[in-house]
Amino acid sequence: MNRKTFINNSGRLILLGGLTYLTGSIIFKRKVSASGKYVWQIDPFKCTQCGRCESQCVKNVSAVKCVHAYQLCGYCDLCGGYFKPNSHELTTGGENQLCPTGALKRKYVEEPFFEYTIDEELCNGCGKCVKGCSSFGNGSLQLQIRHDLCRNCNECSISRMCPSEAIIRVPIEAAYQIKGDFVKPAIQNLKK
Amino acid sequence: MKWLKILLFVFPLLLTLQSSQAQQRFPKPEFHTSYTQPTPTTPEPRGVGMEFVDVLVLLVVLSLTSWFAIKSRSRNGILALTLFSVAYFGFYRYGCICSVGSIQNVALALADPRYVISLYALLFFLLPLIFSLFFGRVFCGAACPLGAIQDLLIYKPITIPAWLRKALGFIPYLYLGIVVLYAATGSEFVACRYDPFVGIFRLNGPHLMIYLGIAFLLAGLFIARPYCRFFCPYGAILNVFSRFSRRHLSVSPSKCIQCKLCTTACPFEAIDFPDEQNEKPDTRKSTRKFILYLFMIPVLMLAGGWIGSKSHVFLSKANNEVYLAELLISHPEVKADLANKDVQTFLASGKPMETLVAEAQVIREKFYIGSWILGAYLGLVIGLMALNQVIFRRKEEYLANRGNCYSCGRCLDYCPVEKE
Amino acid sequence: MNRKVILSVLMVLAVVMIAIVVIDRLKSRVDNRPDNPYEYSVDQYKAVDSTLVRYAETLDFTFGDFDLRGIAFANNRLYLVEDNYLLIVSPEGEKLSKSELPESPKCITASSAGIFIGFKNYISHYSTVGTLIRQWKPLNDSALLTSLAVTDSLLFAADAGNRRVLRYTTGGILSGSFDGKRDNSLHGFILPSPYFDLAVNNDGELWVVNPGRHALENYSFSGELRGFWDRTAITIDGFSGCCNPAQMAVMPDGSFVTAEKGMVRIKIHGSSGELISVVAAPEKFEGETEAPDLAVNPAGDIYVLDFERKMIRVFQIKK
Repeated sequence: MNRKTFINNSGRLILLGGLTYLTGSIIFKRKVSASGKYVWQIDPFKCTQCGRCESQCVKNVSAVKCVHAYQLCGYCDLCGGYFKPNSHELTTGGENQLCPTGALKRKYVEEPFFEYTIDEELCNGCGKCVKGCSSFGNGSLQLQIRHDLCRNCNECSISRMCPSEAIIRVPIEAAYQIKGDFVKPAIQNLKK
Repeated sequence: MKWLKILLFVFPLLLTLQSSQAQQRFPKPEFHTSYTQPTPTTPEPRGVGMEFVDVLVLLVVLSLTSWFAIKSRSRNGILALTLFSVAYFGFYRYGCICSVGSIQNVALALADPRYVISLYALLFFLLPLIFSLFFGRVFCGAACPLGAIQDLLIYKPITIPAWLRKALGFIPYLYLGIVVLYAATGSEFVACRYDPFVGIFRLNGPHLMIYLGIAFLLAGLFIARPYCRFFCPYGAILNVFSRFSRRHLSVSPSKCIQCKLCTTACPFEAIDFPDEQNEKPDTRKSTRKFILYLFMIPVLMLAGGWIGSKSHVFLSKANNEVYLAELLISHPEVKADLANKDVQTFLASGKPMETLVAEAQVIREKFYIGSWILGAYLGLVIGLMALNQVIFRRKEEYLANRGNCYSCGRCLDYCPVEKE
Repeated sequence: MNRKVILSVLMVLAVVMIAIVVIDRLKSRVDNRPDNPYEYSVDQYKAVDSTLVRYAETLDFTFGDFDLRGIAFANNRLYLVEDNYLLIVSPEGEKLSKSELPESPKCITASSAGIFIGFKNYISHYSTVGTLIRQWKPLNDSALLTSLAVTDSLLFAADAGNRRVLRYTTGGILSGSFDGKRDNSLHGFILPSPYFDLAVNNDGELWVVNPGRHALENYSFSGELRGFWDRTAITIDGFSGCCNPAQMAVMPDGSFVTAEKGMVRIKIHGSSGELISVVAAPEKFEGETEAPDLAVNPAGDIYVLDFERKMIRVFQIKK
């Protein structure tokens, strides 16, 4: 039936036109990233170490790990991120450690400096050491999303629950933000 | 070429490290032993550019499905492609990014000039739609991993009465509207959050997500393609587009001989049967009915829009900022609740209440406009669905319903007619 | 499987699906989110026995929303430095004069010989009314001056960047420096962060804080270690964190008033380190992590420069 084909053809033309208009307005009036990929990043200066990075990641073992910005570390004997606040002996005994999985490792360098490294296989991204380090130390420990583990979801589940909106979408060239200075204002001071 | 990519990736990173040295970094201890300070590692994600391989694969699968469905009429070919899609787009690519989710990216890109949309997300949105304009819902047939996994798990599909099918068929349009509204206001990606199958494809995920997936798969044993038929927002768009497709899978390769062998062929009940009586009812009465229903459409749109605008406050609560602002205004005692991290973080951030309230107002305004549009659009959908009921179409053959048929090809082997 | 069974199964599944969505929405509402099982809390150490608190906050004053940088008390005047300005204030908080500074100051001390202001890597000598007398020769680029202390003829500067104490004449000539290394130790002053304070008490003793060791060390003017005491503890009787006390001042009777960062508290320790009293418990610094700067007047009143609230808080001994 001619009427039917006419409706069919014109409908198709209109829809094609609509799609073209939509594509055109996105390409010319909006930002399209042709080559780059966008990934999720935690801004370490906005992070409040709420613990949700550990629980909200869609992966069972979170893609968020603690990362050490060694340049800022003071190499302290009494590391605020390693030891529990009331540790009497500064040894590597498990009862003294803040880290629930024992991922933060302490190694003697020279008197009185110690090097602290993170074993990423053990780290669960809870941020307890980061909280200790930023309260009592230099704030050289920080949480970062590891992109070899991250699934790069269309919408990051952790970002939905982040209380300080610290998780943002960034181009892949700037995927990691490792702290270089500790003077930027940080939200640390929760009324507790 | 790979070295260039690595350099392009590392160089800006080095620049940021370099410039940060000029900032206030307190010098680290001078070590007298031969200690060398390690540098933090920055592991790279899956290679950039692999996404375009996915687009290419999508293109190939869509093309092959079209060919199998229309030209070579091979159910086996489509079945093979279905298995491939489950494996590749599903378990290998973890079902993300998918065309269903791409609606949100496109909606947000149109609404928010600051949002950067990836080209491949745009292509994932466009390609299946373009194919549907020429070949029907071939994307649903074999390319979409969500559809593919449901398709493979059909066990004892029950028949659903037509009135119920049509009523439930409204849900995808509603879901589409909500998905677009929430994505465009920058509140949430609803389709991603309640995607039942991505947890199955990843083989891990939050408990609720997995339970939802299992529920859908179990339902899929008895209702063929439950998500596709009654929820998929992208399917709603494909349904409309596919009705204007140039070519489409047809049950019979040439004229239908009405042998009725295909009546039980389609588990999705997407084959339209010719009417029992082929009498055209009273023309004047049916024309009057048509015109009445036609004029009902603007009324429905206005009514829908009005209802939508009335519900904009409720809908806007899904947005975190709006909810927080409302919480702080209506329950100021929550400020003293030290266990509430979100409230405490907001209070400690130094952002004044006025700014939060102003931002929430802006978002609520967007929801007002969006809900009006949503309501009017739903009114239009209901009106058109009703109109569709009263249009008489002389059906003489057993034809695949262009809007609902997924081009899965099951019916092809039931038809005894030989190709000319 | 008959149709009724299938239908009931499907009904159950439909209910399950709706329930999942509803539960998910309720659980993620801002007022419903679960607690953090990895909460790091030092609240139990913030409570202080009230019998130890022998000081009361009697006066507060502020000079607008400016970043204050340092405080010193001398000549019955309070000298404050903020970004680009030197303020001379009466002990009751009345602003007497304001003069401009060339750049952001880091530390300040004063005596009858004038006001000495430390910038990042040089010191300037101002008169007691705030006019510039002379800018001294700058140090190297890595220097970071964090504290100054002046006697009749000498001025000591704490250089945190180079981890040493410098000795100047009050005329501005650099006459020596020392780095605090004991015997054959590899390192002297342990400074994980830029907080390094020193002071000269009424008996003419130079005391330098070694924050990495939680110690106060007494040096001769030529840099020989005469004695020291250290206290590491999160409880009230010691110094918490990695590098405390971040700020220190000497009282007229020779005891030390110390301010810590991290868990902010101000206490008075005796000359052998014993805790004498608490000036301000952590509750007085709710939500802060930076140690306030300190200055003491001859009557023993403590002027506290609260950086985060941008005000001066005066603590006096309770009657």
